[in-house]
Amino acid sequence: MKLINLYLDEIRRHLPPRNREDILKEIRSTLMDMVEDRNPDPNQSPKEQIIKAVLKEFGSPREVAAQYGAKNYLIGPRLFPAYIQVLRIVLIVIAALNVLGIVVTIVNQPTIDTGIFDTIAEIVGGLFSSLFTGFGIVTLSFAGIERTTPEEWRVEIDQKWEPEQLLKHEDVKKVSYTGLAFEITLTLIFIALINFFLDRIGIYYLGDSGWVSEPILNDNFLRYVPWITAYSVLDIGLNLYLIRTGFWDKWASLSKILINAFKIAVNFAIILGPAVITVTTNALQNLGGFDLEITARELSRGMNFGLDVILGLAIFGLVVESLKIIYTNFIRGSGENIEIHVEKQD
Amino acid sequence: MKDDAVHEQTQNLVQELRRGVIVLAVLSQLDQEQYGYSLMKGLEDQGLQVDQGTLYPLLRRLEEQGLLASDWRVETSRPRRYYILSEFGKEVLENMTSEWERIKTTMDNMLTNTKEIQNEAD
Repeated sequence: MKLINLYLDEIRRHLPPRNREDILKEIRSTLMDMVEDRNPDPNQSPKEQIIKAVLKEFGSPREVAAQYGAKNYLIGPRLFPAYIQVLRIVLIVIAALNVLGIVVTIVNQPTIDTGIFDTIAEIVGGLFSSLFTGFGIVTLSFAGIERTTPEEWRVEIDQKWEPEQLLKHEDVKKVSYTGLAFEITLTLIFIALINFFLDRIGIYYLGDSGWVSEPILNDNFLRYVPWITAYSVLDIGLNLYLIRTGFWDKWASLSKILINAFKIAVNFAIILGPAVITVTTNALQNLGGFDLEITARELSRGMNFGLDVILGLAIFGLVVESLKIIYTNFIRGSGENIEIHVEKQD
Repeated sequence: MKDDAVHEQTQNLVQELRRGVIVLAVLSQLDQEQYGYSLMKGLEDQGLQVDQGTLYPLLRRLEEQGLLASDWRVETSRPRRYYILSEFGKEVLENMTSEWERIKTTMDNMLTNTKEIQNEAD
């Protein structure tokens, strides 16, 4: 019965939430019918061989679940929860930034003249266009992820599917599709940001002709862009591989460690290299208040130091994560141990 | 090589054809209530092999469309979901049956005509 439970758990992970438990209940009841039907001696509990044959015939959990989820979605049921989650976060952040802009405008305009209504109309227009842009980027990313795990891959994997795998993978760390999709989307946005919109990372203020941004990353940062892009692309590649396999295997773990090492090296290079942040007096002037050159220099220094601290913490995090992967995958859990463990349970 | 292609294409088209009739077959068997596995067995015994992965989701879809009604019942220690035609389903089945008769006659005629023409040509 353990095998059937594992099988149903695996199907559960791929089913859309609607009617999920009811569907599983029906599959369980059917599987029991099939097993009973093939059990030569009803007084004895069925042999594992029979259960395995039934599961094999019923099909791989992904295939079974796929039959219940409607197909040809722009974003299928597997990714949809993640999509909604990411969309919510992105839209809230965009809206919050815009509201902040409105507040800054109102504070900076002590006298209410007729022009303020035009400004507000402009801001509302800007809010909508940025919300639509955010919506578009997130939707396109997810549609892309949905399509980069083609049907053929799944079929290829699932034809080789054996009930044994349920036991083998029981101990292995399974991946969360929501988490992976989330990471892929954010990484894509990040890659787009540093490659095409680097000048947009900076201090924002409302000028006479709408939003103006004063970039804070200087030319020193440019040399790191290809490296950062490279490890981000590798990250996406690994995440797509994980979505495909559904669990962390040795290759995935090894790749993760190598990518982490790569990231650590790049972070070190940025910390040890020349300062990458420059705050211009121009930006400060427009924020109002402290329009002093000294303030700008101090702020630059402070922000560079802040960035170094963040990068340092990131290195620490990456090292800890890598050690954890090494421990769980290469020291503690070798394939043989898992086999022995399973036999004992039976 | 050519035989392989013929075989493969035939398989695909036959599968499509069967997919079309499965709904009618399932509805026709559910004037008396049945649970999934018994229905599958019944169809199989009468010569229509239906893939498990197709049948159970299909039953759910038909229920959502209001053609079937279902409820869970516990018997011999295990709960089973029983399906039966709804009133609406009965009417739809009746219409589909007469439509099926019509299609069958048309197709029979067409296929015999084709055969005759072929025979004359030979």
